[in-house]
Amino acid sequence: MLDVVLTGLAISSGFALAAAGITMIYMSTETFNFAHASMVSYAFYVVFIMNLIYGGSPYLYIPLAAIVSGIIGVIIYFTINRWLIRAGATMVVLMMSTLGADLILFGILNSIAEYLTETFKRDARYFLLAEKDIVVGRIGETNIMLIHIVSLIVVLIVVSAIHLFLTKTKFGIAMRTTVENPTLAKVLGINPETVYIASWFIGGALAGLGGGLLTLIIPGEPRIGMVIIVPLFAASIVGGLYSIFGSLLGGFLIGLSQQIGIYLLAQAFGSWINAYKLIIPLAMMVITLLIYPQGLGALPWGKLASKLGRRGGEESGV
Amino acid sequence: MAFEWIIPIVIQIILYFAIFLIVTLSLNIEVGYAGIAQFGRVLAVLVGAVVAGAVPGRILAYMMGLPWGADYANHLKNFKIVNTINVELLVKSPFLSVTMLLFTIVVAAILGGIIGYLSSYPALRLKEAYLGITLLAFGDAFQTFIWNYDPIAGATQGINVPDFFRWVGAGPPRFYAATATLLGFAILIFLFMEAIGRAPYGRALKAMRDSEVAAEVYGKNVASLRGKTLIVGGAVAAIGGALWSLYTGSFKAITYNRLTWTFWPWAFMMLGGTGNNVGVLVGTFVFSTVRTLIYTYKELLSQIIPISPVWLEYILVGSAIVIIALIRPQGLIPEKPALTLKKEEIIEIREKIRKSTK
Repeated sequence: MLDVVLTGLAISSGFALAAAGITMIYMSTETFNFAHASMVSYAFYVVFIMNLIYGGSPYLYIPLAAIVSGIIGVIIYFTINRWLIRAGATMVVLMMSTLGADLILFGILNSIAEYLTETFKRDARYFLLAEKDIVVGRIGETNIMLIHIVSLIVVLIVVSAIHLFLTKTKFGIAMRTTVENPTLAKVLGINPETVYIASWFIGGALAGLGGGLLTLIIPGEPRIGMVIIVPLFAASIVGGLYSIFGSLLGGFLIGLSQQIGIYLLAQAFGSWINAYKLIIPLAMMVITLLIYPQGLGALPWGKLASKLGRRGGEESGV
Repeated sequence: MAFEWIIPIVIQIILYFAIFLIVTLSLNIEVGYAGIAQFGRVLAVLVGAVVAGAVPGRILAYMMGLPWGADYANHLKNFKIVNTINVELLVKSPFLSVTMLLFTIVVAAILGGIIGYLSSYPALRLKEAYLGITLLAFGDAFQTFIWNYDPIAGATQGINVPDFFRWVGAGPPRFYAATATLLGFAILIFLFMEAIGRAPYGRALKAMRDSEVAAEVYGKNVASLRGKTLIVGGAVAAIGGALWSLYTGSFKAITYNRLTWTFWPWAFMMLGGTGNNVGVLVGTFVFSTVRTLIYTYKELLSQIIPISPVWLEYILVGSAIVIIALIRPQGLIPEKPALTLKKEEIIEIREKIRKSTK
């Protein structure tokens, strides 16, 4: 049971970070970013390729993965998103355009994977970096891996960093202003353009960070992003879509319910139920949307939530 | 014949064109006409495909006294049962084959309609992208279910579908007959969609899409319009799924993924022109042709571009979506107002009005 909880927490950390990225981009640009799938996959491959070429611990390359995904985000903004926002495109067109970007990135990634498999004579279409992780301790029969600790520490650092950034820095406050009221922000001399660029970079970097951490837990393949994009959307929606902290919480809720919930269900009903793992986050998301569309972020979290750039649930567009 | 090599290419183009025309038209009535963000098209398609895999074979097995319960979907028995059905029954009986084909289509359409009706629950409560993501979740959840639950359609092992085209003859004639059937249905559905698009119902849909409030002011029941559209769209998509399953002769849930049956049709629709059936036809035709040519000349192509054709297709479709969204959001053939009378008559009436007001 303990190993299930530990792995669940580590996977949830990855989900939470990546989902926070989806929310970040959605909050400022109203774009549901399908390309998040590729941003996560590219993070897997950055860690894999660097490890393949230079060796060493996969942990060393996670920051690089975050930067690469962040740059992908900025590229998507400059080539696609910026022009559509200017043309006043609808939410559906914004969403479709990122799907197009995702398909292009997916095609390129697969070609890269094929090239790697040929060049390095090693299967780049399915790899497991978790075996390179180190055991740091033991509780009873369960090994505690480094990732179990690192992932939670990273989430804590990101939470505090985002909190400080949004409340203490000038740019963070400008960002919140733009999310709340773009017109008013412009009147006050804030350039929404820089805010959009920053949110695409931070959103992408969070996807890269989440993906980078996940490389040490789950096997990588080119379609990994496409597989986990649905739980990521689920986490972001359960979190309320207008709150970064809500989406981090949503990531943990979705991740833990998927990992631990399915474990408990399998204990009760038999292992056949494991195959239906994916249905849990989907069901949670649909129930949230239909019954409590404001999401977790809109629950009264007291002082903390009201401080942290939360926008009222009644405005979440549902 | 000197041009024999061209026949398989043409057949392939017609095949893709026909099946994707059906699915894309069903998407267009929901997205283009009614403005519903249908990101779960695969759901109704999958329902149709499951019907084709699970229903007619069981009826025929029951008629022949073969196992037809959960046993029917067992992969060790299923191929023998379906083979017996094909060889002993369907080869000799064109009448039974055609009847069962039509029966399958009707059942698929009914179940697809029911799925559409059920999706109207979220569709009346959520808007835009939220609805899109919810419908996408429904599609993925149902695919996971069919992929893992074997008594219905054999789960990961899949299921064989009785061959209703076998009586024409084995080999190429069978494929020609199947392709012709698909094309026939595609044309019928196109004419049907054009007819309802021009009818008061279709025009009310466009009014609702452009301004829900204005449509309501003029006495249109928005909830009922949306519900009806989802039923029509679901039924047509399920017919598409059933036909594809009958054509391929086997069913596997993994092939009915959101990429091929939701996102591809979206791309075809956007390329051709959202809200315009002729545009959808053109968009689907362009993509089917390009896709077939890429696959036919993949060896030649791989010498020029060092990318495998499978991935090239993704890059191509993705670029098409992005470029259309950026440069030509209205598509190749932009939507035109539906004319209820002939153009000459409208001009005549306009002249009359002009004269009478002078």
